[in-house]
Amino acid sequence: MIGHMILQNARHRPVRTAITIIAVAVEVTLVIIVVGLTSGLLLESAKRTEGVGADIMVQPPSASVFMAFSGAPMPIAIGDKLQELEYVQAVAPVLVQFNSVNGLDIVYGIQPDSFRAVSGGFVVHGGTELQDPNDILVDDVYARAKKVKVGQTLHILEHDFHVAGIVEHGKGARLFVLMSTLQEMSGARDKASVFFIKCDRTDHTPAVTDEVRGLLPHYEIRPLKDYISLMTSSNLPGLGAFINVMIGIAVAIGFLVTFLSMYTTIIERTREIGVLKSLGASKGYIVEIILSETTLLCLGGVVGGVGLSFLLREIFLKLFPSLTILISLKWILLAGLIAVAGGLLGASYPAWLASRKDPVEALAYD
Amino acid sequence: MEPILKTENLWKMYRMGRIEVPALRGVSISILPGEFVSIMGPSGCGKSTLLHVIGGLAQATRGRVLLDGNDLTEMSDAARTLLRRHKVGFVFQRFNLLPTLDTYHNITLAQHIHGNGFDPHRFEAVASLLGLTERLRHKPSELSGGEQQRVALARAIISEPKIVLADEPTGNLDSKSSESVLALLRQLNKDLGQTIVMITHNPEAATYGDRVLHMRDGMVVNGSAAHS
Repeated sequence: MIGHMILQNARHRPVRTAITIIAVAVEVTLVIIVVGLTSGLLLESAKRTEGVGADIMVQPPSASVFMAFSGAPMPIAIGDKLQELEYVQAVAPVLVQFNSVNGLDIVYGIQPDSFRAVSGGFVVHGGTELQDPNDILVDDVYARAKKVKVGQTLHILEHDFHVAGIVEHGKGARLFVLMSTLQEMSGARDKASVFFIKCDRTDHTPAVTDEVRGLLPHYEIRPLKDYISLMTSSNLPGLGAFINVMIGIAVAIGFLVTFLSMYTTIIERTREIGVLKSLGASKGYIVEIILSETTLLCLGGVVGGVGLSFLLREIFLKLFPSLTILISLKWILLAGLIAVAGGLLGASYPAWLASRKDPVEALAYD
Repeated sequence: MEPILKTENLWKMYRMGRIEVPALRGVSISILPGEFVSIMGPSGCGKSTLLHVIGGLAQATRGRVLLDGNDLTEMSDAARTLLRRHKVGFVFQRFNLLPTLDTYHNITLAQHIHGNGFDPHRFEAVASLLGLTERLRHKPSELSGGEQQRVALARAIISEPKIVLADEPTGNLDSKSSESVLALLRQLNKDLGQTIVMITHNPEAATYGDRVLHMRDGMVVNGSAAHS
């Protein structure tokens, strides 16, 4: 009976119903897309770093797991000492620079030979590998997104580079230049941001890790197999707070719209509430009707929001192919739960008001 | 025979700012089971207030209201709600049907709130008695005033209340529909033994009852036998 009544109520006021559902859908979409975008970018970045093929990553003391946030304070000579350690097959120093010209990208300054020794080399889709100081390699995702062709000039880091080749994605960064060039440009001569270590056998990784820790106490020594688990929003300063703020804004939208919608509803239906009370409906029965209707509207919004999220992801990926948006079942359920909880919270005061209406006054309401 | 409804020195005061205005001033009435009583009086004499108080919609200020042995003046709001659910059926001047529900659901809503579940036999009997079997899928906006009031009557009696309280049930109807609704009330009283208290300001309508109580200035001034 209550189900039929709330369905009829929802149909009776189609505009109110639609606006509430849309607001909740926007709330759900905001949560799913913001979380999906951040976790997608982090995961994609982690996978690329893992794709370098190293077993261990060495960074300066207190360096962030997010390499773009680290400087280049390590002397490159450390690489020679690392190379001398038992079970170490190859060491590749990399200078990492953050580029904000024509987009936000991480640029790897590499020594082609050492990087090849660790990573197994690039799969070249077109052109050649790095040869000239002004050469740059771009990965295929970047090339597709920015419509970059071999031979053209690419302006990044306030410098004109010559696109020497397009390589398969998944080797740490999307852009690669010679380390010496990047050191000159950033004033970090003989410095590196990170050393990638390749062990002769994977099962020697713990032993090498211990050796490096002995050699470089206080440095950040991370086995690459642990790297993905470290790439979470909680490890990136401010990102967790940003996500929480976005979720808070989304919840506030849902809360306010539901509150207004249900408040208007109970004003509009004052006489109906009086009728229900005259029939002997308890306060709980009236609260149940209001909250059931809210739940129905919120669930409609959740379904709409999930659909809208997938649609937006498709649109974003078409417009920005280098983006990764991770829509997980966990966050679909969480976003739905947040939306329904926010909606019920928003409707609880109107429901309480409705349940306390004086039946005689309610029946006299025009 | 014990009265189904009895009031003793019933007072109801309304507060208008700092002043207390009496709407009922010592009303004492007694209604027996199966009676059809009309209450007449000019506007503002306290008829509707009396109906609200004896129906448990409003709390009395002083005095006693005994409905089927239960003293409403001693009851909490929740207890009066429960009593309304099981013992009282209301019919209002403005029908007060839920506009989003069709006839069928407006009637069964009362059964749902009553909590005894849907009784198809009772439903069919009531719908048939009130001539609603062809109008069950119509919403209030698709029904005439007379039909809407018949739906309201059906809703009031579907859960077999001890008493039906009708507040100007013909006040919004044309004369033909009024006659039809009054005849139905009379039939419910005679055939089913339904106790009915009807408020009206129409002397002709009042004659459908077994007796008429006259009210003035919040008091019952006299009672008389009706002549239908």
